[in-house]
Formats: sequence, C-alpha cells, structure tokens
Amino acid sequence: MSGSRSKSVVLWTLVTIALVTLSAPTVVVLGASFTGGNIITFPPDGLSLRWYARISQASDLRNAFLRTLHVAAVCTIVAIPVGTLAGIALAKYAVRFEKTIQIYLLLPFTIPLIGSGIGLMLIFGNAGILGQLWPVGIACCVINLPFMIWAVTASATGLDPDLELAAANCGAPPLQVFFSVTLPAVMPGVITGSLLMFILALNEFLVSLLLVDARIVTLPVLIYNSIRSIITPDLAAISVVFIACSAVAVFLLDRLVGLDIFLKSK
Amino acid sequence: MQEPFRAVASREAEGGREIAVTVRNVGMDFDGVHAVKNASFDLPKGRFLTILGPSGSGKTTLLRMIAGFQTPSSGEIFINGEAVSAVPPHKRSIGMVFQRLALFPHMTAAENVAFPLKMRRRDARTIPERVERYLELVRLGGYGGRRIHELSGGQQQRVAIARALVFEPDLLLLDEPLAALDRKLREEMQLEFRRIQRELGVTTINVTHDQREALVVSDDIVVMDQGEIQQKAQPIHTYRQPRNAFVANFIGVTNFIAGTVRAVSEAGDVSILRGDLMLAGKIGDPVNPPAEGDKASGAIRAEQIRLAGDAAQLSKLDCMLAGTVTDTIFEGERMVYEVACAAIGDEVIRVFDHDPAAHTQFDIGESVFLGWNARDMLVFR
Repeated sequence: MSGSRSKSVVLWTLVTIALVTLSAPTVVVLGASFTGGNIITFPPDGLSLRWYARISQASDLRNAFLRTLHVAAVCTIVAIPVGTLAGIALAKYAVRFEKTIQIYLLLPFTIPLIGSGIGLMLIFGNAGILGQLWPVGIACCVINLPFMIWAVTASATGLDPDLELAAANCGAPPLQVFFSVTLPAVMPGVITGSLLMFILALNEFLVSLLLVDARIVTLPVLIYNSIRSIITPDLAAISVVFIACSAVAVFLLDRLVGLDIFLKSK
Repeated sequence: MQEPFRAVASREAEGGREIAVTVRNVGMDFDGVHAVKNASFDLPKGRFLTILGPSGSGKTTLLRMIAGFQTPSSGEIFINGEAVSAVPPHKRSIGMVFQRLALFPHMTAAENVAFPLKMRRRDARTIPERVERYLELVRLGGYGGRRIHELSGGQQQRVAIARALVFEPDLLLLDEPLAALDRKLREEMQLEFRRIQRELGVTTINVTHDQREALVVSDDIVVMDQGEIQQKAQPIHTYRQPRNAFVANFIGVTNFIAGTVRAVSEAGDVSILRGDLMLAGKIGDPVNPPAEGDKASGAIRAEQIRLAGDAAQLSKLDCMLAGTVTDTIFEGERMVYEVACAAIGDEVIRVFDHDPAAHTQFDIGESVFLGWNARDMLVFR
C-alpha cells in the first residue's frame, strides 16, 4: 500500500511540475495582457481591457494578422491534396525509395529552420517572387508537410484493403472508389493534418522572417520587430489573440475527430 | 467404385443447364510459388459451389481471381461464356461477401446496400424501395438507418449479404464470411445462406475451411490442397467416395491403417496386409488404383466402426480388431473412443458411438473389439 502511495505522490508531483512549466508562459502573457499600466509586467498592474481596445484599433497589427491567416490558408490548401495523396500512397503501396522518403519525413526535426529558410529565400529570390504572400505559404507547407503526411498515413494504415476491393466489386470505377471509400476512411487524418498545418503556418516565424519584407510582415515577425524597440502590453494582448486562434483550432480538432487520433498519429 | 463417379459427372454434363462459370487450367504464381496450379471446373447456373481446403490451399486466391482482384498467371476464367481476364472487377457483375465483410464504416446499413445500385446508375427513384426489399430478404427490415458499428456481428453479415445481392449479380462470391462467428450463429447463417441462395437462384461460389459448412450448404464441393483441385463432387459423394487420402482425411474423422497391397480384383476389391493382419477393402481412387505389392493405406470412418465388449457381437462384420480403450471423449451427441490396437502396433483408432446414453459405455483400460465391413474401407495409394 505504502509503495503504491509513494508512487502516486511522485507521479502527481511530476505531473504538476510538467503542467506548471508548460502553462507558465501562457498564464504570464494572459495576465500581462490585462494590465492597466503602461509597461508589460506580471502580475498585472490592475485589470483593464485597454490594450485589447488598442490592438483592435491598430491597423498594422490587424493587417499583419490577416496576412498571417492568408499565409496559413495558402499553406493548408496546398498541403491537403499533396499530403493526403502522399500519405495514402506511403501507407498503401510498396513505394520505391520508401526508406529515403522516411528520412525526408524526419527532416523537420533535423535540419535547422534557418537553413531551410535561407535555401527557400535563395530559390524564391531567383524566381523573382519574393515580396508576395503566397510564396510564404508555400514555404510553410514545404517545411511542415511531413506532419500532414504522418497524420494521413496513420489513418490510412488502419484502412482495411478489402474496403477498396469491396467498392470495386460494387461497381465503382477507381476514381469513384477513391472519393466514396478511401477518402472518407482517411478523413480523420486529413482533418488532423490540415488543422496542424494551419496552426504551424499561423505560428511560423523564422522562415517568414527571411521571406517577408516591410510591406508584408506577418504577425509573428511584427511582434518580433516590436519587442526590439519598446515592449508594451499590446504585444501581450496580441499574443493572447494568437493563442486563442490556436486553441480554437485544437477545439475544432477535438470536436471533429477527437484528440486521441491526433496524439496517436506518428 | 468407378461407376458412381461417372454417373455424377455425366448427369451434370447432360443436365443441359447453362454454365455460369468456367475455370480453365487456371494457375497463379507469386514470386515462383504456385498458389494455384492448373485448376479447372465448370459451374452450372444457379448452383451453390463450395471451395473447401485448409489455409494456404489456394482457395481464396482462386476466388479473388474470379472476382477480378488478381489476374491468373495462366489459364482463363469464363463468366457466362465470356473470357474475363481483361475485365476489371467493377465491370464484372459479381457480388461478394468479404471475410471481414468490408462494409463502408461511414455509411448506414441502407447506404451500404444502396451503394452498388448508385455505382451501377440504377434509376434513383427505385433505389430506396429496392434497398428495403433486400434488407427484408436478409431479415433486417427497418434497420436501414443504423450505422454499421451499431449492428451486431450477425446483423453486419446480413447487411454484407444484402449489399452483394441487391444489384442481382450473375454470380455471388462468399470469402469465408462466417469464419469469425461463434458456432451457433455460424450454423444459423449457413442455413440462411442456403435459404437466400435457393430463394433467388443465384449462382454462388463459397470458400471455406469448415467441412461441415461445405457439406451443409453446397450443391457441389471442390476440395483444394496445395494449390490443386483434389476432387469435385456433390457433398454426399465427397464424403462417401473421397478420391484420395487427403480428401478422406480432411472431411470427417478417418482412421488410416498402412499396409502392403496383397490382392486386387476386377470388381474393385483390394486387400492389404499389415503384419499378420489381412484387411479387406475397396479401391478408393479408380483412376489411380493400387497394384499388388504397393504401399497403401486403408481409410475407415470413425462412425463406420462398431464397438463391442466381446467378439461374438461383431461376427457378422468382415473385419475385426482387438484393442484397449485409451481415452473416451464425451461430445454430447456422441462418444468418441480412442482404442489402441495391438495388431497394428498400438496405433490408435477412433470410433464414434452416436447413442452413448443407450449403449454400453467403456472405460479407459477396458479391452474391446472393433469391427467394420470391407465395403466401408477405402484403400488409397
């Protein structure tokens, strides 16, 4: 009995430490955003919504936020067809160079983003498309695509291969089999992957920093630029809005497919 | 023994029924392994054929080739007289019930059943009525709105059957769909398959490793082993006149007594000698009969052996063996005795007593006598 009690004490202590550590930055930013004072501080100096009022008036912040949504949308729209098809192919067929592709899928963990960013900057610079928003979306898609592929592959691996044969047996030609059986079956993975891609693109900073110029800064870049001059509580407020966006995406994910599949995806 | 086979074969051929499926010298290689070797048979319209064999016998591969999921390495399959090797599965008029059912999980029962009709562009106005009619055929009237995971295993089976039949296919294929069910439900569904098949008269090919299912549901049984067809016959002939030792062993409970052939007669009588024991039997395979001096084995069914406490009770039988009971297994409707017989080197012979309540029961260690008739023992090389 005492053994199991001391085990549970250790366990709960570890869980508490982990939860506090993970949530501390969010709690601090959240608190600081409600400050009544003029400097960013925690605990907040009185409670007010004045910094939220301020950011809703600030057109540069609002525009940067809209641009970020634009980038995230481009990234997601490109990632859905590409990642879905690639994920299904990897799960279903004996793809040539499968090992090589598996290594490619690990790249986001191994290659420093600054390296990818410089590479993309050179490519887009040569192509003469720097200074537009859509290449930033493409860049986010390229560096994060493995997450989409993983999510779809996880769904497609559990797919009974007989389902597609059954559809063919029912008289469905190959394209019809894909749309009426394969796609619905991997839909949880597609939804998971797209929301993940959207969140990642929304938050993407380093690569965007290299690809945007002063006319098209995205929100993370704008926040970064601002903290280099004066740190005002409106930055905390805009961060909270940002966090809320991600939270909405996670909430949607949970409602649409359940978080467990998201956590299970390889 | 030769006559009944000829009679069976010619009755089919002369029956004048149209042939629905012809499998002609079909072979299938996977990386040099022959999954199916030179398989041939004809299936007349409206009949229920079962391909029976152990796992790895090639029976499922053969079925998948007929469905069009795999292309034969050699030979040709004809459906209604048309060669189908080049016809993709979605253009064949075949309904199939899969082993794991393969119902579409994101659709309701009715949507599953409607799917083949939609894919085959049937008049949309007639679809709901037709779907309901087929759900009623499989006794699921009113269940159309249920999701697949809301249905029990048996109900899912029925949805799969309705989906396979709703577009009135030329051919119904069953790929061991009952294998996962518990025994009671499986036996119920076997009779259900037979009822529906007779009601609709649809030509059916069933694949199973369950010999009881094959005997119960089929008009004809094709027995396969190691990629080769061992025998094609009606259930009763498959059981009564197995063509080789494999079929004799695979269907029913059969005792084999090995020996050397001593005498073969024109009429099909054959004797084998085991030690000092001479056993009389009949030639099992008239196409490939044993000759004098060959090694051969006599096959005798467990239910054709009589068991008695003293030899006098078995005096009317052709063969008799003395032995000692080594085990008794009570299976409810029958008692299985395992008897070690000294004359054949203490090999164990299994014997059924189909009325254990009324008969004398023997205990382990008791001395008993076994007897049977020569016509019941088939001798195979």
